Amino acid sequence: MTGIGSTIVPVVETRGLVKRYGDQLAVAGVDLVIGPGEIYGLVGPNGAGKTTTMKILATLLAPTAGEALVTGIGVTDDPLEVRRRIGYMPDFYGVYDDLRVWEYLDFFGRCYGVPANQRGPMIGELLDIVGLTEKRDSYVEALSRGMRQRLCLAHTLVHDPALLILDEPASGLDPRARVEMRDILRELRAMGKTILVSSHILPELGEMCTGVAIIDRGQVLRAGRIDEIERSLRATALLRIDLLGDETSAAAAEAWLGTEPMVGDVLRIETTDADRVRLEVPFDGPVDAQADLLRSMVAAGHRVLGYSQATSDLEEIFLKVTGQIDEQETAA
Amino acid sequence: MTAATTTYGARRRSAARELVSSIATIMTKELRSRMRGRRAFVVLTVYLAILALITYGMYLIVAPNAQNMAGGGFGGGGFGQANASALIGQSIFTALSILQIVLVCFIAPAFTAGQISLEREKQTLDLLVSTPMRPAAIVLGKLAAALAFVVLMIVAAVPITAIVLMYGGASIDDIVRQQLVLLATALLLGTVGLFYSALLKRTQAATVLTYITMLVLTLGTMLLFIFWTVVINQSDNGFGVGPVKRAPEQLLYLNPGIAMLDVVSTTEPGGFGGISGALNELRGINNFGGGVECFGDVCQPVDQFGNPIDGGGNGSSGYWWPRIGITFVVISALLALAAMRMVVPAGMRFAFGRRKRRPLVAAGPMGITDDVVAPLDDPADHDATKEQPR
Repeated sequence: MTGIGSTIVPVVETRGLVKRYGDQLAVAGVDLVIGPGEIYGLVGPNGAGKTTTMKILATLLAPTAGEALVTGIGVTDDPLEVRRRIGYMPDFYGVYDDLRVWEYLDFFGRCYGVPANQRGPMIGELLDIVGLTEKRDSYVEALSRGMRQRLCLAHTLVHDPALLILDEPASGLDPRARVEMRDILRELRAMGKTILVSSHILPELGEMCTGVAIIDRGQVLRAGRIDEIERSLRATALLRIDLLGDETSAAAAEAWLGTEPMVGDVLRIETTDADRVRLEVPFDGPVDAQADLLRSMVAAGHRVLGYSQATSDLEEIFLKVTGQIDEQETAA
Repeated sequence: MTAATTTYGARRRSAARELVSSIATIMTKELRSRMRGRRAFVVLTVYLAILALITYGMYLIVAPNAQNMAGGGFGGGGFGQANASALIGQSIFTALSILQIVLVCFIAPAFTAGQISLEREKQTLDLLVSTPMRPAAIVLGKLAAALAFVVLMIVAAVPITAIVLMYGGASIDDIVRQQLVLLATALLLGTVGLFYSALLKRTQAATVLTYITMLVLTLGTMLLFIFWTVVINQSDNGFGVGPVKRAPEQLLYLNPGIAMLDVVSTTEPGGFGGISGALNELRGINNFGGGVECFGDVCQPVDQFGNPIDGGGNGSSGYWWPRIGITFVVISALLALAAMRMVVPAGMRFAFGRRKRRPLVAAGPMGITDDVVAPLDDPADHDATKEQPR
């Protein structure tokens, strides 16, 4: 959980959220607390319950049990007020092809009751944020996928909501469009928005999220800051060492590492370069010991090209977290 | 809550104003895409061209014979030129009215049958229903937008119809009645289309069902009524003796065709003829014994003994169309209410249902209080719960 003072109302709070479709449990007791100004990631494989959780928060689904609060208001108590405070972007959606970009935003502005004299400047501002200013008079039909995605993002902002709920905003985008989307989200965060964003690809979220919840089969497996989750999962750090040299020098380095304390079983990774070797070294020690290891390794004559901790491999964290559950289940 | 305090949409308005402005929002958007480009103008032009051609054709057919027909006509009896002119006017009016009711029957459903299902198919409905926009506003806005164009077509044809005023034989009253029937029919069939569109996932299915419903209302009710009447009279032992039994007349209150025939029955060429005869047959007025008695321009239905039926008034016309018009409006209202319920996906109907009473403490950080709770089921009236206490 993130450290939120008791005086601040969390923007999102769910307690024991459950959603059942027939006998299928889509969300099985999700607890989330998201403070103001956070970018919070929901990560999980397809069908983990991310979309259902987001739809409940967006007042598009009633929870079977549990509570979901947006800025302290229960989603089933006053859904319309909740809607005025959130901007929601579904994972799949269509756009009105036959409208112009500004008309599209104007329409949603009116849907949210934005007064006419504010809509004009608001549209200009939003198009500026999402980088579609030149497309103001184009038909939505003529926009590329990335542009549509940004337009949809802009539509979530017309009523200046406190919270944005973005379901897979980067799915189906090319790498460049992804980077653009990420930059926009950063900018929105700087504007004071709280953002709840989902993805089934962890690295996509890793760099920008202040917190993540890893969800699988309707349950939160881990929640918190990414580095915290990582630390909790990995008692030993994994060092990645690239060496210049052939088989013999690799073998020598392996033998040398084997004599060091704190070093576990060294794994040699195949590379395409004939004159380079990569070693993965489990290391059970503090950061300064890691630095010392590098110094003594270089002193011992090994030609180290790269020396890094295999951190932020979110894919790996994810597999590890979801894998743990599998192990627990098979054990039980 | 730095972000929440600068809400653009923070201004609150009264329930009615909010609903009207929401309807206008949907209408603006619909009309923007509908009236864009050439399509709308082409449709309107073709429609008016057909009507104009029929008018001219009718003139060409009737005019050469009008003198003869009027001379030896049914009740005209030697008024000569004036009656010949009226005959042309009446022929044109009858033809235009019947043609327009047929066209409206086919055009009105086409404008609404896809309105909501298309949004579902294109996945735009979720974005729309996740706004604070009320289902009532969505349904009424879409209906208004679709009808706006149909109404434009109907009203745009008035100048063509008004040609009959030049010839005489049909009055402004007749044109007003004709317009009312056309508008009521457009309203009913438009709402039927919207209802199916909200009910069904696929536009195709909604369109097919709307047209089937249209055919049932026009041909189906009529055939059923006749068939029913024949059957109950056959099972009667005293066939042909005593009063003739009839199927429930209400069946025919669903029929736009009957309404239009009723409107034109007083103005059909010659004043009295096949149409009013047929309508009287449906009303159970014996055309052989009684029928319609005409004194100059004024006709009225009479029974076998020549006594006026239904208080007389302005002839046989006026019996059906007001009843049918009222029935249409009532059914439309019911269908629109049903569509309002269905436009919202089942999972989120709670959003517009009865709201739980919450203590004042639960007011949001923006200081919005929720203590005014009206126990209303009608989503259209739910706006009342938003009104600020003064």
